[in-house]
Amino acid sequence: MTQKPEYIHIKYTKPRYYRWSTGKYMGKVYKEARDNKKLVTNRCPKCGELLWHPEPVCGRCKVYAGEDWVEMSDKGTVLQYTYLVVPMWNPHMGERWANPYPLASIKLDNGCYIYHFLEEQDPEKLPKVKRVQAVWKEEGRGQGLGDILYFRAIEE
Amino acid sequence: MANRVAIVGIGQTYHKNKRPDVNMPEMVNEAVRAALVDAQLRPKDIEAVITGNMETFEGVYLPDHWMAVEAVAFRTPGFKVSTGGTTGASAVEEGFNFVASGLCDVALVIGFEKQDTGDTTAAITACSTPVWGKGMATGAIGEFAKQALTYMEKSGAKEEHAAMVRLKADRGACRNPYAHLKLGLKSVEEILQSGYLVWPIRLLDFCPQSCGACALVLASEGRAGKITKKPVWMADMITIHQLPFRAGIFGDITGTEPYSQEVAAEKLYERNGITNPIRDIDMAEIYEPSNWEEMSLYEHFHFCEKNQGWKMVEKRMTEIEGEFPVNPSGGVLATNPIGATPTIRIAEAALQVRGDAGEHQVTRDVKTAVATALGGSNWTVMTLLKRSL
Repeated sequence: MTQKPEYIHIKYTKPRYYRWSTGKYMGKVYKEARDNKKLVTNRCPKCGELLWHPEPVCGRCKVYAGEDWVEMSDKGTVLQYTYLVVPMWNPHMGERWANPYPLASIKLDNGCYIYHFLEEQDPEKLPKVKRVQAVWKEEGRGQGLGDILYFRAIEE
Repeated sequence: MANRVAIVGIGQTYHKNKRPDVNMPEMVNEAVRAALVDAQLRPKDIEAVITGNMETFEGVYLPDHWMAVEAVAFRTPGFKVSTGGTTGASAVEEGFNFVASGLCDVALVIGFEKQDTGDTTAAITACSTPVWGKGMATGAIGEFAKQALTYMEKSGAKEEHAAMVRLKADRGACRNPYAHLKLGLKSVEEILQSGYLVWPIRLLDFCPQSCGACALVLASEGRAGKITKKPVWMADMITIHQLPFRAGIFGDITGTEPYSQEVAAEKLYERNGITNPIRDIDMAEIYEPSNWEEMSLYEHFHFCEKNQGWKMVEKRMTEIEGEFPVNPSGGVLATNPIGATPTIRIAEAALQVRGDAGEHQVTRDVKTAVATALGGSNWTVMTLLKRSL
């Protein structure tokens, strides 16, 4: 059997729209980011740890976490980073990822971790990026963490 | 006291990037037939069928309903399991539970994935909650890139060591008739020339997307001896989940949090009287999405001390001829049909225990083997296999 397989192509062009609920706790993060350019989260009443992102229940203590809201620092230190080398698409949203798209795990000054983009685009300079601060979007906020454009290297 | 359970039939398809010659049920049927032939059983001997598949990777829904006939599941109890990367092992665990609990005597477990339809990276990206960091997910590669960098910095491993892991995987794959990528790699330099995908992960550092299926027939102690002369006993199975790491998805780059692999291994070893894993176990088939991850998994499973994984590679301990062979089949680096991948780990470890692995049979005699799976937010499933209980 050396017969070539026959492909049947069916083309769909309908765009996909989603409506997601943020929920009560994440909704608070969205609201504070949109209205006040602030990161907020809640604290476990038992162990006192910040639950980031905010949660109704502390996973470790398994108690109702309540609404002890805390404002977080938008400054932090880069813990680890990586960047794309080959061009890729965000297949879920249908948008092309920027390249090199530097992405970092950042330890915020209150001890919480955040994954976000870095402003620095030069792979050679990336290892030197340590202290960073969030740069907030001026327009079109309302996208939660997406309201932060990227983290910019700062001198202190 | 639970019933004892043995693997009495093993079957898998060959694995390829694309299988346009078959549809999903036909591909599954290839593995099912092979397992039934291996066990010398007929479809009517099967009392329960558990399937494992990550259907969103194919962009479909409930594909198990399409293959009632091909999976010999028509009018047979069973269900489909989807637990991310661990799917194929979770399905085996369900089959194990069916037989161990006495619900049935003979169960068929099938892991499968046909990745030439759908978009796996799209599905993995969709694993992030849509209201938290969706745009910041780069599928699995970005996460393992950060893991690789952290491993490099902490342990002192070099890119050459990662390349040696790839070389070992390829040597195994070239001897394994079912493996997907058989590249015939000759040197570390050749691997270090492959381009970066997400720095520092190279194209050759990461697992491929494969199409394929793997089926196992499990039987109770009463039936196993009648079905085969070479039953492989499932001494134990364990699943451990993990609270999400605070600073990473698949790894803790702060080095302070316990891993589900460590917890699973410690519990499994304690329950089975294993005090020195590389002495008490003869070989391992582990789920290594990247060559960097393989080295840190050696450490998490206590095959060596912390930050020593790359030294096991350097000493060639985990080669087919080595004192503690790991992934002689070529592993996930060579073959990755996701829903089938962990089933293949168990199948390959069982073939080693039976002595039926053919050209990639390890040099040392395998009486005890361990198979592992990795998935979700760093879940671990471990299976301990023995030639005799």
